[in-house]
Amino acid sequence: MMTLASYLFISFALFAAGVAVIIARKNIIAMLLGIELMLNAAALNFAAYTRFLNNNYEGHIMSLFIIVIAAAEAAVGLAIVIRFFQIRDSIHVDDATQLQS
Amino acid sequence: MDYTISSIAPIVLLPFAAFVINSFIARTFTKTAVALSCGAIFGSFLFAFRIFKDFVFGNYATDYYIHKVFNWFDLTGGGQSFQVNMGVYIDNMTAVMLLMVTAVATLIHVFSTFYMHHDMNYGRNGRFFTYLSLFTSAMLGLVLSDNLLSVFIFWELMGFCSYSLIGFYYEKEGAGNASMKAFMTTRVGDVFFLLGILAVWTTVGSVTFTDIYAALAAGKFDPVMVLGIPLATFAGLCIFAGTMGKSAQFPLQVWLPDAMFGPTPCSALIHAATMVAAGVYLSLRIYPILEAGHLTYFVAVIGGITAFGAATIALVQTDLKAVLAYSTISQLGYMVLGVGVGSYNAAFMHLITHAIFKACLFLSAGSVIHSLHDHHTHTHVQEMPRMGGLKNKFKFTWIAMWCCTLAIAGIPFFSGFVSKDRILGDALLMALHNKAYWIPTILGFAGAFLTAFYMCRMMFLTFHGEPRDKDVYDHAHVEHLSWNQNIPLLILSVFTLGVWFSGSLTGQGLVKVASYDGKYEWFQTLIAKPKVEKFVSYKAEEFGAADTRVKNQLPASQYDSSYGLSEEEAHHIHHVHYMGAIASIIIAFSGVFLAFLMYIRKSVNPGWWVSTFSGWYRALQNRYYFDDFYIKGLIQRGLLPLNNFLSWFDMGVYDRIAVDGWAKVTHFLMGIAKWFDNLVVDTIAVDGTGASVRFFNVLLRTLQSGKIQFYFIMIILVLTGYVLAL
Repeated sequence: MMTLASYLFISFALFAAGVAVIIARKNIIAMLLGIELMLNAAALNFAAYTRFLNNNYEGHIMSLFIIVIAAAEAAVGLAIVIRFFQIRDSIHVDDATQLQS
Repeated sequence: MDYTISSIAPIVLLPFAAFVINSFIARTFTKTAVALSCGAIFGSFLFAFRIFKDFVFGNYATDYYIHKVFNWFDLTGGGQSFQVNMGVYIDNMTAVMLLMVTAVATLIHVFSTFYMHHDMNYGRNGRFFTYLSLFTSAMLGLVLSDNLLSVFIFWELMGFCSYSLIGFYYEKEGAGNASMKAFMTTRVGDVFFLLGILAVWTTVGSVTFTDIYAALAAGKFDPVMVLGIPLATFAGLCIFAGTMGKSAQFPLQVWLPDAMFGPTPCSALIHAATMVAAGVYLSLRIYPILEAGHLTYFVAVIGGITAFGAATIALVQTDLKAVLAYSTISQLGYMVLGVGVGSYNAAFMHLITHAIFKACLFLSAGSVIHSLHDHHTHTHVQEMPRMGGLKNKFKFTWIAMWCCTLAIAGIPFFSGFVSKDRILGDALLMALHNKAYWIPTILGFAGAFLTAFYMCRMMFLTFHGEPRDKDVYDHAHVEHLSWNQNIPLLILSVFTLGVWFSGSLTGQGLVKVASYDGKYEWFQTLIAKPKVEKFVSYKAEEFGAADTRVKNQLPASQYDSSYGLSEEEAHHIHHVHYMGAIASIIIAFSGVFLAFLMYIRKSVNPGWWVSTFSGWYRALQNRYYFDDFYIKGLIQRGLLPLNNFLSWFDMGVYDRIAVDGWAKVTHFLMGIAKWFDNLVVDTIAVDGTGASVRFFNVLLRTLQSGKIQFYFIMIILVLTGYVLAL
């Protein structure tokens, strides 16, 4: 039986996995992947809530927006990473210290 | 004549203006300065003569006076009235005194242009005249003063001028000390004088003469006691002490002989004619206080002692000016004796006659000294043993000086006879009434004998006999008559004749007092004791206010009514004065005769007297050891140890304990302050601020690690906390 709670549990697991990736990993690309996981958890939440509580399509539309934003974000993020790699020859997050006082 | 500010003030202000201008120009434009001083005093003389003419020929009553005041400063406020007025008080005595001072001062100024011309090259001539102008202005201010305070101010100004002029030849050895001595000795009297003024002020609330007279008449003085003695006695004693200092009375007479270090014209003006007479003038002004304080006997004794003592010292002096100095002290003693025996107008008359003949004597002595040089030491010769026979060279001076000598000796037809015999006659009268007065009276008569003797001795030694120092005699120039040397001598010696003062050639002794009709002797008519009763409801006039004077016609028997004597008493007085006159004529002639025997006939040998009375001779030569007593006794034994003690106290106690101790306390307090500053202010406040900034800086900087994951953890933690809190 698929209930709202099970969707939300999946969503929480995804989000927790994303957070864990961002905190634990030093690789910027891995951290971007964590962000994608968290965004998807949010999108899943939208879909689940709109399916079980409103029964309309507003949540789905919001999910689609999130996918688009995630794509755009990934594009921008990857561009920054590539540029960073060109400058520093590294994608390790601790090397990004130029703004540190 | 109107008495306004413009007819009175120039008397004082002209010489003062000359002083102010001369202070600036005397060094550069010496001749202008001299002319300015002489012109100013002559202007004063003209203004004074107007007042004299008005008073003496104006047919006013004897007690007529003018009292004009102006407000000096006004401290009224807060319900209390405190006004200080200055003003002029002119009565017959002031008018006569003004004329005498201005006239004598003018003549002495003129003589000074002769006497001081050697000093022209050094520009010192101008300095001399500057001081003379200041002095005359102060003297005239004193004469015009209507209150004790301004008298005191001018009194001190004169003291300063005297000080400066005694020390005028400052390169002379002893001149500086002499000026200091004169200043300090008179200062002893002045301190008491000021004390007396304050004592009067506390009771009367004013120091104006008229207020004091009114307070005396109203009996305000009677209940007040100061230090256990009545106020009138206390104030009278204190103010009279001022007189004793200024008029060189016993025991403060020591300064006047040393004052002869000054130039001779200044001796004539200051130390013979005016300043020393100012003391007597003051005691005449405060005569009601002396009378109310029962001090007249004391005053008479002081005068008698001074008159006799100074005359004895004059016997052995060899310095020409020293003889004159002691004779001045002696004559001032007669004036004070006159004040003491109630011979008010005779004392004042002697003041005037003495001023004239003594000024003339000093100027004559100045003429002689000026022409006598010691060509080895290049100094003037003042010693009589080196003179002698000078009458051949100084014919004019010789005659003038003889006139004055006869006047001071009390020879009939000369002014000294008129005034001195009146004093002695009154003294005799007092002695017949009160036996205690025999002491000053006998001293006075004995002094008169000595006066005649030592003055003639001086004349014989100086002008007669053979020249004793051939060198000095030969180098002395024969006197050339010059206007500025001889005119003053001429005028002054003319006024040594008694007829100017007595109105009759014979003088007091032969005038019938009771039937005296007010036309005969102008001095008797003009000068009378101030009657204090008439001042009870008086009001001083403001300057510029309308003149409200009443011109009284002189009552027929003024002299009579002022004493209120019966026919019998007047006969008695007349009789006593007659005897006194006869006695003093005999005494004066015997004095002259003794001098003649000793120094012309040489039938009495002075050396015999010296060797027989050698102890007395030494005492006289040492001025009765007064100087020794003051300097060795009082100053070295008394004042110096006191000074040493005070100096020790100052250095040991004040300096060591108070000043150094305070420094130690301050040092200790400084330690505390330093500790506080270092610890609290510097360490805690200043450094603490820095440290706290640094601490928060470290804290915040640690958070700003720049590690993105750290930020993220924080965000997650905060969000989680936030959610959990909800």
